[in-house]
Amino acid sequence: MMKRIKSVMFALWICLSFILTIASGSFVILYIFIKGFKSVDLEFLLSNPGGIPIGTEGGVFPAIIGSILLMLIAIVFASILAIATAVYIVFYCRSQRLENIADAIIQCMAGVPSIVLGLFGYSVMVVTFNMGRSLLSAGLTLGLMIFPFIQVRVEKAFQEFSRSAINASYSLGVSKVYTIFKLVLPQCRRDIVSSITLAGGFAMGAAAPIMLTGAVIFAPVPKSLSSPVMALPLHLYILANEGISMEKAYATALVLIALLIIINIFAMTLTLWRKEVKR
Amino acid sequence: MNVLELKDFRAYYGSKRVINNLNMAIKKNKITAIIGPSGCGKSTLLMSLNTMLEEAEGRTEGQILFNGKDVHSISKEEVRRRIGIVFQKPTPFPFSIYKNLTYAPIYYGVKDKKRLDGIVVEKLKISGLYEEVKDEIHGSALKLSGGQQQRLCIARALTVEPDVLLLDEPCSALDVKNTANIEKMLMNLVQDYTIVIVTHNLSQAKRISDYTAFMLDGELIEYDETHRIFTSPQDNRTKEYIEGIYG
Repeated sequence: MMKRIKSVMFALWICLSFILTIASGSFVILYIFIKGFKSVDLEFLLSNPGGIPIGTEGGVFPAIIGSILLMLIAIVFASILAIATAVYIVFYCRSQRLENIADAIIQCMAGVPSIVLGLFGYSVMVVTFNMGRSLLSAGLTLGLMIFPFIQVRVEKAFQEFSRSAINASYSLGVSKVYTIFKLVLPQCRRDIVSSITLAGGFAMGAAAPIMLTGAVIFAPVPKSLSSPVMALPLHLYILANEGISMEKAYATALVLIALLIIINIFAMTLTLWRKEVKR
Repeated sequence: MNVLELKDFRAYYGSKRVINNLNMAIKKNKITAIIGPSGCGKSTLLMSLNTMLEEAEGRTEGQILFNGKDVHSISKEEVRRRIGIVFQKPTPFPFSIYKNLTYAPIYYGVKDKKRLDGIVVEKLKISGLYEEVKDEIHGSALKLSGGQQQRLCIARALTVEPDVLLLDEPCSALDVKNTANIEKMLMNLVQDYTIVIVTHNLSQAKRISDYTAFMLDGELIEYDETHRIFTSPQDNRTKEYIEGIYG
């Protein structure tokens, strides 16, 4: 009897947790959709913000472009470093100690709060390197934030790659570089691409790292890497925090969420596709 | 003629010695079988011969001479190209059959499509796979059966034109028919290559090898022509091992 009660309770707990998670997740998306849907139209997507204070009228076009550009800079910067680091740790590093130290540092980086990264970006890139509050400074700061995210996943993909296939390649007298580029990277491509896209979504949604490093209340679509930019999360923050227009804030949130969902679906498709290919 | 010669050879994993003062010479264009109980150092010996032991975090002392030259004086890549190895578990790359076989030749600079096609067909024919897979050469190598995968791996090892082919229990995961296929193939290959095979299967050693080496606890106990090892072993331990398995 006791056992039965236990198992029923357990099942109930699992079901409730599942329902709660799904429900709260869909609630957030649905709520934002309902609140924001009215204000999102083509004009909102394609025009500059206007009115006084700025944001009460017009759209978010520069913020959409700004967010996409920030994401691109962040993923290019972070993935080059992350893949190279993972290759080094898995294929070149001979010292277990160095490997542990590198892993520990990367774990720490993953744990640094994003506002602290923002402060770091501000003092190093904006002030010390004199790059100003710009697209580049903000993009690189975001890159720092997602670097550990990508590195950990890529390293895992490399670790899981069949050691015996790698040895079979070495035993043909083929160099390490050729093995990595022709055997390992192509086979891990989907893992790498999907972790980069997920990281891109993560970068696009972050407001804290870019507040101090390059995102501003209003700027036109950036003309160069050194121009300041608008970004959706910061725009949303300003609209809501300053009480400028809740209607526009929800619309902005909807656009941001839609972009993130598109990116995530893209990443998921890649991952699923990979599993099918493997079978 | 001796292709490979080991002099005072020792191998270690960390501080643990797994092969102890081994002296041995391997004859050209012959099949040499290495037999012995599990853990006696057979596979370690095989992997040392083409420096693959380094990849398994092992190290060696003493000399290995390849055609009279110390293998450490030749580049690792060159040694591995000229002394191919096939492992116990088939390890096809997750590509098509065709790409498995052109992987190494492309690395060595063969770019001409016709030559690559030629290599693929030739090696598939040598390994007896051609008739079985000729319609699906561009299909995934992972879809082949275990025996076919192993023959593909042997074919792949041959694409770089080695002088010596090392095989580490290549048939241990295969059924009788596939084993017979591989044995037949090895007996044909020995005209052009020197073959060293580690095997648990004494009757296999007896069937295909010209020379047999018996190892025990990291030492070479006896090394002679196969028929002599199996009919009149000099050392008692060899006799016991051979009889133990039979009886």
